[in-house]
Amino acid sequence: MSNAKERKHAKKMRNQPTNVTLSSGFVADRGVKHRNRGGKPFQAQRQEPHYGTSRQRQTKMTPHSLLEPDVNEPSSSKVMFKKKGGWKAGPEGTSQEIPKYITASTFAQARAAEISAMLKAVTQKSSNSLVFQTLPRHMRRRAMSHNVKRLPRRLQEIAQKEAEKAVHQKKEHSKNKCHKARRCHINRMLEFNRRQKKNIWLETHIWHAKRFHMVKKWGYCLGERPTAKSHRACYRAMTQHCLLQDLSYYCCLELKGREEEILKALSQMCSIDTGLTFAAVHCLSGKRQGSVMLYRANKYPREMLGPVTFIWKSEMIPGDTSESRQLWIWLHPAVKQDILEEIKAVCQCTEPIKSTVCIPELLTSSQEKNHTELPDEKIGKKRKRKGDGENTKPIKKVVGDGTRDPCQPYSWISPATGIIISDLTMEMNRFRLIGPLSHSILTEALKVASVHTGGEDAEKTPHRWWIETCENPGSISLHRRQEAVFELLGGITSPAEIPAGTILGLTVGDPRVNLPQKKSKALSNPEKCQDNEKVRQLLLEGVPVECTHSFIWNQDICKSVTENKISDQDLNRKRSELLVPGSQLVLGPHESKIPILLIQQPGKMTGEDQLGWGSGWDVLLPKGWGMAFWIPFIYRGARVGGLKEAAVHSQYKRSPNIPGDFPDCPAGILFAEEQAKTLLEKYKRRPPAKRPNYVKLGTVAPFCCPWEHLTQDWESRVQAQEESSAASSPNGEETDLRRHMVPCVPTPEKTHQLSNEVGTSVNDPREPEEVMDTDCQDQAGTKMVMYPDAGENHVAAANSQLFVLRSRKLLKQLSAWCGPCSEESRAARRAPGRGQQELTREACLSIMDHFPRALVWVSLSLLRKGSPEPHTMICVPAKEDLLQLSQDQHYCGPQEAKHSDLFKRKILKQKEKKKLEKRQNRGCATSEGLGAGDPATGQEALTLGLWSGPLPRVTSHCSRVLLGFVTQGDFSMAVGHGEALGFVSLTGLLDMLSSQPPAQRGLVLLRPPASVQYRFSRVAIEV
Amino acid sequence: MARAWPRGTGARAYSAARSGSRSRAHSMAENREPRGVVEAELDPVEYTLRKRLPHRLPRRPNDIYVNMKTDFKAQLARCQKLLDGGTRGQNACTEIYIHGLGLAINRAINIALQLQAGSFGSLQVAANTSTVELVDELEPETDTREPLTRIRNNSAIHIRVFRVTPK
Repeated sequence: MSNAKERKHAKKMRNQPTNVTLSSGFVADRGVKHRNRGGKPFQAQRQEPHYGTSRQRQTKMTPHSLLEPDVNEPSSSKVMFKKKGGWKAGPEGTSQEIPKYITASTFAQARAAEISAMLKAVTQKSSNSLVFQTLPRHMRRRAMSHNVKRLPRRLQEIAQKEAEKAVHQKKEHSKNKCHKARRCHINRMLEFNRRQKKNIWLETHIWHAKRFHMVKKWGYCLGERPTAKSHRACYRAMTQHCLLQDLSYYCCLELKGREEEILKALSQMCSIDTGLTFAAVHCLSGKRQGSVMLYRANKYPREMLGPVTFIWKSEMIPGDTSESRQLWIWLHPAVKQDILEEIKAVCQCTEPIKSTVCIPELLTSSQEKNHTELPDEKIGKKRKRKGDGENTKPIKKVVGDGTRDPCQPYSWISPATGIIISDLTMEMNRFRLIGPLSHSILTEALKVASVHTGGEDAEKTPHRWWIETCENPGSISLHRRQEAVFELLGGITSPAEIPAGTILGLTVGDPRVNLPQKKSKALSNPEKCQDNEKVRQLLLEGVPVECTHSFIWNQDICKSVTENKISDQDLNRKRSELLVPGSQLVLGPHESKIPILLIQQPGKMTGEDQLGWGSGWDVLLPKGWGMAFWIPFIYRGARVGGLKEAAVHSQYKRSPNIPGDFPDCPAGILFAEEQAKTLLEKYKRRPPAKRPNYVKLGTVAPFCCPWEHLTQDWESRVQAQEESSAASSPNGEETDLRRHMVPCVPTPEKTHQLSNEVGTSVNDPREPEEVMDTDCQDQAGTKMVMYPDAGENHVAAANSQLFVLRSRKLLKQLSAWCGPCSEESRAARRAPGRGQQELTREACLSIMDHFPRALVWVSLSLLRKGSPEPHTMICVPAKEDLLQLSQDQHYCGPQEAKHSDLFKRKILKQKEKKKLEKRQNRGCATSEGLGAGDPATGQEALTLGLWSGPLPRVTSHCSRVLLGFVTQGDFSMAVGHGEALGFVSLTGLLDMLSSQPPAQRGLVLLRPPASVQYRFSRVAIEV
Repeated sequence: MARAWPRGTGARAYSAARSGSRSRAHSMAENREPRGVVEAELDPVEYTLRKRLPHRLPRRPNDIYVNMKTDFKAQLARCQKLLDGGTRGQNACTEIYIHGLGLAINRAINIALQLQAGSFGSLQVAANTSTVELVDELEPETDTREPLTRIRNNSAIHIRVFRVTPK
């Protein structure tokens, strides 16, 4: 008897009186069998004289028909009874003597209990389904679910009861708020303000929430992807039209102070090795946007914090260094906390500024007002509702950061250096336009503000700052120049033609005023496209420094602009009051003037193909104006993308995505953990037979990338190799190399070296410089330079944790080594790169020596079929694979042999154990069972198909040696085949490159976690 | 027609076209300045060369920019389709313009001639050459240097393919 059957039986018997047993199916079966067995001899007796053929016919007949007529009545009733209910009376029925007669009254009396039990069982339903669900399908009607009277009369009563119960269970609606009241503007505003207490809403939130799948991430509510099916449409928008994104969730940190002080402080956090820093001339002048990687102070190349972009406010009087400068650092919210803390530490800004300090006061007051006002207003509103009729202010929408605690400081000053850091998160909106049509959308949607000409109502208008500006002829001419540059933009067909990171400041009129009646598509105007000297100047030089000036840098003006915005309601009313419906609305001096900043975003800069792909413009607006600009952009034909589109954009651009592609920064690690968790949950939700068994597929870590294991494995692997090779052929130079390697060869030593870290970390900042020096010195290439303290340096490097190689010099060298080189192209390559070394064993060893645990960002493009996915493994091809590929051009790649599942048996054992315990539990008292169950649950639960316990050697787990993992990968519509981005171990990469034949250098194999098929692809490092 | 193309900066463009054998995704293939010129003034340690897209005019529907990445046959078919129009010959262009830059000049000419050869005399070609200014950006590697831009010339061809009524 199986468990399930037993349970079912028990359930059926629940409502039975003890003296009556309602047999379930299997009992009845048994009963019938018994009866037949009983009946057989009886049959055989009677039918012996018949022929064989007729006998068979006879057996088909029921035995009862052969009975005597006088006993027919009781027996037939008995049989009928049996047939109906399957009562368990079979064996006795046949074996006992059949009674000659029965008395109806006694018979009925004896059956009374049974009948009442039966009636009870019929009226009381044992299943927990609704009445409606018990009806056979053909009797169901649609309206039955809400109208009881549609049900058959006999069920109506039960259904009524059920319906009442359901009403009770439902959450009670608030009585004072009917649907209409809830839709009322004030109540809605209150509700919205409450809902954005926890996660910040962007200004475009409501718009997004209607059209996007929203996710809560990094403390914000963000649109992830459109609900419409639009993957390809969004790609097309990026390439040919215009894609719009709301990046207002990016955080802005403002640094104010003297230029040298700021530069001095920040120089500790970045290194010239990774590219230009905050001090780059063109960025410092305020002409261009710069981007930089930030590290913990003096910890380069380890302890990465995150990538940022920055803009300096252009100085009004060039050359005046004593002037206080303003620097905005824009960063992703995931990395904000770390970077803010570090910048505060570096600038020694410890004192939080109270609102009494004059400079940030405007800022704080505006902030605090937003907050302190809210509760007041709420109270006031309640009073009003009570009917006091008090004149209260209307509820204000939360503008900016709704979650900010008013008591918490967000600007800090340093007494020593005088630098003021303020957190301008959500103080500005940032919209990103990607694609060639972004120029025409910008020029159509934005109209440069009209200059105020000596109005008599100067006192009345709220836009005092603009009137004051217009009084100054210098600023008017500047405004005109900005306007001219902006007009020129309309004649340029792609943002990629303009110097990267160009900044243009602008003051524009209210974009809602000239909103078109219908959504249309802005197309570039051929008439504007004149190939004159001015355009040429713009393309070559970019925007002149003066034109980068914008009033958005001034907090005062921004605040007044935000506060004096005409509401949509007023604007629409004015529009409806126009004499000629549909004509242009003229607000005159009452029209708001909004200072904005346009920043060009370079598209794909690195590599050789697809140059300038995905370039566009970022628009910075003061807060409160988000929707006023958003809708005009959309009405000019911009398509809106979410976080997913941003990921696609960065993938096709082959740039790392924040924070997923920064495995060495805390935010990246956190992101990877969260991703692994969600993937694991998703995996576990599927039944074991319907999900891949990763153990069998040889995938050790399908949901995360074990970078630590990977680099450690490679380090020890190469060391073992070196030892064996050195032992076999003790070459002069190689042994010389080995001498320096010896101290770190034994792995146990590492652990006790860790204690040295404090001492060696002092050496760290010096190290990169030295590396750079050597690169400069030995331009001939093959010569190795060993500095006297190489051993010490090595120790410092060896006990380091994982980091990503970002030194441009090394990356350039690596990228030159990665490509396949025939003799001819090698000659060509050698000519320009005079500083580049040949790929030799020694050169590799020197790099490996310094960066034993480094990762390198690589891009991979598949040779033929296959579209990689995240967590795809990058492997080193074996010699025979390359041989086969060179013989057969259509060779797809090798396959991984099936692995045995070591854990399956364990899981089965565990399951059996559990089952046993359960069975025992049921037998024993429950309290005892609980105690016995605990150890089983305490053990980590094995999941079928996943590797459990500590990871084995990840590199050599499969038939091909593992080199790295893919972090982003998909079919790329930009190039037309699969493409992937990921990290490989530097040591592994060098080892692979040096052992591969030159013609096939840079070929690797890719294998997705749920597949056995390896596919060839080519590695490229783009600098 | 074939006489037209060596005009302009032909010799230089040709020598450079050989080195620019890699494919480019944007619609025109460009080629490189001979290296000696760049190298004489610039140190690769201090600057990185980044090429910008060529300045482009807005595209009419009958403009075709030839590149070296797309398959030749596909580009030819595209031109043919434009000239033929739909199934019943509706919105067929009477003339198309084929543009080629640098390395792609050769291919642009090839396409135009193929179109003409396949038309039984109903198509004529007229070629114009021009010089296109390309911008190279030199990105500094050190903080103290300004980014530089330099202009480089490259030759381009614009072939008008048009229908003539056979006499």
